[in-house]
Amino acid sequence: MTTVPPLLAARGVSKAFFGNPVLRGVSIALQPGRVHALLGENGAGKSTLINLLSGALRPDSGEIEVDGRAVPRMTPALARQAGIAVVQQELSLTASLSIAENIGLGAYPKRFGLIDYNELASRAKAACALVGLNEPLSTPVGRLALGRRQMVEIAKALYRKPRVLILDEPTSSLSATETKILTDLLERLRAEGIAILYISHRLNEVMALCQHVTVLKDGTCTADRSLAGTDAAGLVRLMVGRDPGDLFPKWRPSASSANAISVRGFSAGLMRDVDLDIRAGEVLGIGGLVGQGQEDLLLGLYGAIPARMASATVNGTSGLPGGVPKANALGLAYVPADRKREGLHLIHPILTNMMLPAFARLPALRLRSRRAEHETGKSLAAQLAIKGDLGRPAQALSGGNQQKVALAKWMPHDPLVLLLNDPTRGVDVETKREIYLMLRAFADAGKAVVLLSSDTPELVHLCDRVAVVREGRITATLDRAALSEEAIVSAAMGAEKQKVAA
Amino acid sequence: MSIIRSAKSAGALYWPVQAHRNIGVRALFLVVLAFLVAYGVLFPGLFTASGFGKFTQSWFPLALVAMAQAILMLTGGISLAIGATVSLGAVIAATTMAGPLGVAGGAAAVALAGLGIGAATGFIVVKLRLPAIVVTLAGSFIIGGAALLILPRPGGAIPAWLSDLLAGDTPAAFLILVVIVLLWKLYLATPLGLSLYAAGENPVGAYRSGVPVDAARVAAYAISGLLSTSAGLFVAAQTGSGDPVIGTAFTLNSIAAAVLGGIGFLGGQGTMRGALAGSLLLSLMISVMFFLGFTPVAQYVAQGLIIIGAVAIPQFRKVQQ
Repeated sequence: MTTVPPLLAARGVSKAFFGNPVLRGVSIALQPGRVHALLGENGAGKSTLINLLSGALRPDSGEIEVDGRAVPRMTPALARQAGIAVVQQELSLTASLSIAENIGLGAYPKRFGLIDYNELASRAKAACALVGLNEPLSTPVGRLALGRRQMVEIAKALYRKPRVLILDEPTSSLSATETKILTDLLERLRAEGIAILYISHRLNEVMALCQHVTVLKDGTCTADRSLAGTDAAGLVRLMVGRDPGDLFPKWRPSASSANAISVRGFSAGLMRDVDLDIRAGEVLGIGGLVGQGQEDLLLGLYGAIPARMASATVNGTSGLPGGVPKANALGLAYVPADRKREGLHLIHPILTNMMLPAFARLPALRLRSRRAEHETGKSLAAQLAIKGDLGRPAQALSGGNQQKVALAKWMPHDPLVLLLNDPTRGVDVETKREIYLMLRAFADAGKAVVLLSSDTPELVHLCDRVAVVREGRITATLDRAALSEEAIVSAAMGAEKQKVAA
Repeated sequence: MSIIRSAKSAGALYWPVQAHRNIGVRALFLVVLAFLVAYGVLFPGLFTASGFGKFTQSWFPLALVAMAQAILMLTGGISLAIGATVSLGAVIAATTMAGPLGVAGGAAAVALAGLGIGAATGFIVVKLRLPAIVVTLAGSFIIGGAALLILPRPGGAIPAWLSDLLAGDTPAAFLILVVIVLLWKLYLATPLGLSLYAAGENPVGAYRSGVPVDAARVAAYAISGLLSTSAGLFVAAQTGSGDPVIGTAFTLNSIAAAVLGGIGFLGGQGTMRGALAGSLLLSLMISVMFFLGFTPVAQYVAQGLIIIGAVAIPQFRKVQQ
């Protein structure tokens, strides 16, 4: 039993966005002198919980407590006063200001109403020394590499002498040396009695550094326990392990031996040296933690961003398309993740949205045939079960139906390869089921479906093979037989190195 | 918490920070210097006391509006009402200074009008979250209309001694500009002033860090208004009377000068010293081209091409990296 009240705690907090529950009755208690790990898959509610703890959001129900006393209206200002510092995933730095000016931002020492640069320099220097930043304090932050900026961000939190330090994936952009400095520092801060909440996807770091763990899954707390006596595999099981139910169509082999796309030594954006074969008639999953370069892989294949490669073959033509119109001509189609901004033109009618790829293919100055468009639109709507008047703006549709429109617009061109970027994100369960059925049907019809997904169960239950991307490389290609949520999450987090030959 | 404590000596910080801010504008300073030399050769009178005075007087109002525009662009905003505000400042000066309010009262009226209009614009843009370009476009009609209401046709008067002091054979304009630059440095040394950069470039991050983002932006609009009406006062002193549309050209010239000076449209990019150098460059370009006998049409075309070039060069460098 602990007799000291936690420095910061949430008691049964719930939060919903637009009626969509993100957190349900979650409790967490940050004790002084303890490094507390917060684990969970993408979308489990970790960021929302941090925002509640730091006052950026207010819970719908439940309470935030500081020193054992409930704070009814937590705000960022109150959180700062209570000594809570958050190192966010997105940086809060200003590129044109110097390191010191960034560290002191919002809490400058003053003399006669002016910033006391001498005092700022000595305090910023102390904070920098802790994180091993030895660049001159006057260096503009814009000239630092991403990892160094992350260190400035941490120094900024330390400058405020926090009692509670919340770090949201602090090591994702750090080098091994910088990570070592940080973990040593956190160890020292812990010994000083600071409460630390540590969010990371790197399980070995968590195992080495933390004493206590809270695991979130789909907005509920599935574990709140000491880390002693737990292993990485056990943590992974706590994070995944849900019942897929009958959401997914029955899998049966449909892959042919012919390659739709084959690339060697492919690099685009964050992706480096990828060798990948995509077979006709298969659903190839692309998994991994968010932002490891998966999107660049799809965009590079599609020719939407520049790519380099040793060799490539697309549907029998050698070389990558290198541009979107050429990619379309080769039978490639891409459905973006952000349907509101990239996939659809929301204020325009559903029919116009469906016709856009056709507009790109028609001779620029030929008159449009409204009737033919309407016929095509109606048959697409029937085929994909899109409900509603086609003349209404696309924004009137639900998220799931919008996604179907984003998919439908490519159907008249009968693409051979479908590149899908997280097509079921924010889509209701029923539409998910419909989309899954469609994807399997495409594969059965001999098309290649590349499914980038942040939803691990759908990778496991829908795909023939899954390529797991980590830090810009495909670190594992899992065959149907080897597919499991544990295997994907392990490969995504680098918990074990494995390569099942494809 | 003993490990988080102040280090004994950290060395000077303020001046190295300033030195880093110079890096981005070094090339611009060289170009300005080259134009100054060219101008000096074409027009040797520049290096006499009265020639220098005249030159700074022709530059002064553009310098002020460039600062007025730059401070807004640093916060991520922009103003299309600067020209109208200059006109308003000019007509207020021309209708009050020769009357019972006197020069001091008239100057106070000009300053209050600028601060008030700026603060009101800023409040609308910041608190109602409306786009600055639309609010200031509408504002330009309202403010321009107000100027025409006060003085429907050119007229009014500025006391002769004031015209002589500001626009006569004196270095007053240059000295005032020096004072304004020093006041700006002082403002940028306050927490609110420096917050401009954070509020412009990364408002969410700045807010999370405890920066009064809204206050910093409204203050910027108020200062911008003050600089604009002050420029109007000076223009009225130059001509000795008020003209309700005299400021119109300053709206686009202020943007041109700020852009030449390396101020970005996305907020938080650029420096005031750059904007001042940009206004000086624009002023010099106009004078040099005039001296070289460019027709007005050719001047405008050349001016436009130079501005596009000035924006494109850094962009090319970025792409190459």
